[in-house]
Amino acid sequence: MVEFSTNPVSWLGFLLFAVGAPLWMGIVNKLKARLSGRCGPSVFQTFYDLARLARKETVYSRSASFITRLAPVIVWNTTALAVLILPIGPFPPAISFSGDFILLAYLLGTGRFFQILAGLDVASSFQGMGASREARFAVFAEPIFFFTFGSLALVTGHASLSLQSIFKDIAWDQPFFAVFIVISSISIFFLMLAECSRIPVDDPNTHLELTMIHEVMILDASGFDLFLYQHAASLKVLLYALLVASLLNPFSWLNLFDGTLFFIASLGVIAVVLALIETLMARFRLVLVPQFLLYATIIGVLNILIFTISH
Amino acid sequence: MVLPAVVRDARRLNPAVHLLNAFALGLGLVFSVSALLGNPSWEASLTLPFAGAVRVGFDGLTLFFLFTFQLLSLAASVYAIGYLKAYIAHGVGIRAHLSFFTLLMLSMQLLLVARNALLFLILWECMAVSAYFCIVLEKEKPEVRRGGFWYLMATHASVLLLYVFFVVLRETTGSWDFGAWARFAGWNPGLLAILFTTGFLGFAIKAGFMPFHAWLPNAHPAAPAHVSSLLSAINIKAGIYGIARMLLILPAENAAAFGWVLLAVSVVSAIGGVWYALAQHDIKKLLAYHSVENIGIIGIGLAVGWLGRCAGLPGLAALGFAGALLHTLNHALFKGLLFFGAGNVALYARTGNIEKMGGLMRALPITGIGFLIGAVSICGLPPFNGFISEFLIYKSLFQGGLSMFQDDRYAPLILLVSAVGLAFMGGLAVACFTKLYGVVFLGENRSGEAVRPDGEKASSFPVLLGLAALCAWIGLVPGSALKLLLPALGEMCGTSNAPLDAVTSLGGFTSVFGLLLGMVLLTLLVRALAQRKYGVRVRETWCCGYDRVTARMQYTASSFAEELVKLGRPMLGLKLAWKPLQRIAPEPRSFESHGYDQMEEGLWLNLNRAIGRALTLLRWIQSGNIRHYVLYVFVALIVYLAAAFLW
Repeated sequence: MVEFSTNPVSWLGFLLFAVGAPLWMGIVNKLKARLSGRCGPSVFQTFYDLARLARKETVYSRSASFITRLAPVIVWNTTALAVLILPIGPFPPAISFSGDFILLAYLLGTGRFFQILAGLDVASSFQGMGASREARFAVFAEPIFFFTFGSLALVTGHASLSLQSIFKDIAWDQPFFAVFIVISSISIFFLMLAECSRIPVDDPNTHLELTMIHEVMILDASGFDLFLYQHAASLKVLLYALLVASLLNPFSWLNLFDGTLFFIASLGVIAVVLALIETLMARFRLVLVPQFLLYATIIGVLNILIFTISH
Repeated sequence: MVLPAVVRDARRLNPAVHLLNAFALGLGLVFSVSALLGNPSWEASLTLPFAGAVRVGFDGLTLFFLFTFQLLSLAASVYAIGYLKAYIAHGVGIRAHLSFFTLLMLSMQLLLVARNALLFLILWECMAVSAYFCIVLEKEKPEVRRGGFWYLMATHASVLLLYVFFVVLRETTGSWDFGAWARFAGWNPGLLAILFTTGFLGFAIKAGFMPFHAWLPNAHPAAPAHVSSLLSAINIKAGIYGIARMLLILPAENAAAFGWVLLAVSVVSAIGGVWYALAQHDIKKLLAYHSVENIGIIGIGLAVGWLGRCAGLPGLAALGFAGALLHTLNHALFKGLLFFGAGNVALYARTGNIEKMGGLMRALPITGIGFLIGAVSICGLPPFNGFISEFLIYKSLFQGGLSMFQDDRYAPLILLVSAVGLAFMGGLAVACFTKLYGVVFLGENRSGEAVRPDGEKASSFPVLLGLAALCAWIGLVPGSALKLLLPALGEMCGTSNAPLDAVTSLGGFTSVFGLLLGMVLLTLLVRALAQRKYGVRVRETWCCGYDRVTARMQYTASSFAEELVKLGRPMLGLKLAWKPLQRIAPEPRSFESHGYDQMEEGLWLNLNRAIGRALTLLRWIQSGNIRHYVLYVFVALIVYLAAAFLW
């Protein structure tokens, strides 16, 4: 049942993804800077940062147990495995099986589990606070994923329940279906904002540790560990962006050339939208975040209800 | 099994009894595994005094539960060797405890073999009473007596309903024999409604489904760790076994309503259990609430399986029942592991309050590693066993939605919402176990104690590591556990060769998780190389420039969970006790917060009080005057005689 792709392109797609993720972040940062009237660093700045981190000395806390040392490795690898399950643009995914989206969500969950533990491992209130927030928002984020993909599976009616088949069966031939898909992709986009600590949920560039979520949790990480965390974070953003792009793909399935073009274009559009949101909006107060996430769930619920009743 | 010989041997020495028990259980385990892989069906007739011929026997379902029970009993026996030493050192008399402990393990196993309702009820009572005596080992403590009493009340409420269930069955079919019931054909709908209600309520109280769960968080912390792990890991599974047996006996025609009710109750249990758990400060109480959650997950699987059977979809039934049964085994493994770990923690910290702990990883490294694996497993995270069973249940929910989507518009939506509930519960479980593990094992010790060397009892190592290894094994090689499950699954689905490929194909996870493990090792290697080149230092935690940090400034369990607990109000009670600042000069102040169970306080205790008040109206009968009592006897006699003559 578990199919490992024999097509080397799917595995090469992963490498492309791993390199592309920081680049995409760099592009978003550049766009943000431009939109707010600054010149901004080069789009390759994220690469320079990552390279600098990888070549730094690692400092561990005296309070830290093996969890602090293990967590970055687990976080990076679970995220990377989740990427292997994802169909990267037109390439078939490296790993695909019935129910693979459940594994994808739970792999990210494993990573989150260890990241939260690492936050609690260093015996400081700052990191503990970040860990607590991460745990709290994840509770509201996870259902959005399951709701969206569960209802997509119902609507596309594909018994194999794999991401590849769900994406394949998305077709825009009926107006109802198109509306359904667009709203689903909005849910996933909201999820991306929350899961990847973007404005308006979290602001990675803030100066006050008390107001941060993701950044404060990894406050004590350094050197190669911080490199793993940061790279995993960029993988995760691109993973969600690709989910959104795959949902919005109006052509049932593409050949390699058109597909690549389409996905690069849609990733570009998502980057612009993300940069616009981050420029125009301020961060929510933390108490509003669960409401924001519930809102994303509710539009999903309404979406499937309307679809069921009207179809 | 071989155990009756052992009961007579329950004598003075703690290790002797446990080793004998463990030996017998080991033999039993070998037997049940070989029977599961070989020929899982056998029946015989025994002649008991008063009851006449009584049938005993086993099938796939019995053997699967027997295997689970024996495995955990074995672990508990070995664990108790070292654990009870602490009690012996404090002068607690354990001789009676040892016999009741043995009786508990024995009656739980024999219960599964019973094929006759009378025998089943007798053994059910035996199990309940011996468990009660096991719980009240430290009977001089008021909270232990209270917890024991809760258990006793709950188990008797359960057995009362089961009496009704079994007597109605006997009156309908004219037999006490399970086999005869399963072959019976003349059910009528009204009767079935009574049977489903009483049977489900009776077994649900034992299993601890949500509105009936109040005894678990009271009884489990009261018991010593080896008993609470037995209670939580397998005793409540007797309720699950009962429900599964009931589903085998009663017909699936027109009974889908029961599936929907079970599904609703289970989703409520799963979410409510973990939410209540989040508010707890006591390690054992927290784990007890998680049992409610996991029983809910098992219930979801059973419900979907039953709906599949009712709708004539054997593939769906196979997925649901497989998830439920596998989760039964999985929950036994990781909950046993967690309770054993909690026992070590509580012995070391001399308290169950996690707010006073912290940094125990240094004192209890083996317990810490075992507990971590247990915590990851119970959250259902890959690559451990909890994920495999939850995956099956998720899949059954989605698959169920898909296969019903064409005929029925709204049933799929209910299944979808259940899946989302499961995801929500998963998020809460992660929050809860990161809180528990982080506060207990990580950081610095909040009571400021230095590490004591006497931390861990070596006799608990094989148990903790063995159970942890099993959790990992089922996660990495799910096919092996599924092999033990197949006979039971065939019976539950009602077909001899159910389409099990959806279940057996889980073997593919081995390669995915193997890949993950390989990637992790590779990353560790690369990091080791990088760190060798660029160096590693150990320094204080970076606290944003502040350098007078103490262990008491760490984030506490209450603050970690506070926001989520608040969101659970008003279902979740939260008592805050503190004085607002009134004067300018600071004065000594304190703050306390306690989460309490709205269902326990609001529902059951108020119900009890109401019954108590109603009964005071009858108090005049108890006048205390001997002549009145003689009159009662006389009147009763006349009424009986009159009834006998007039009938």
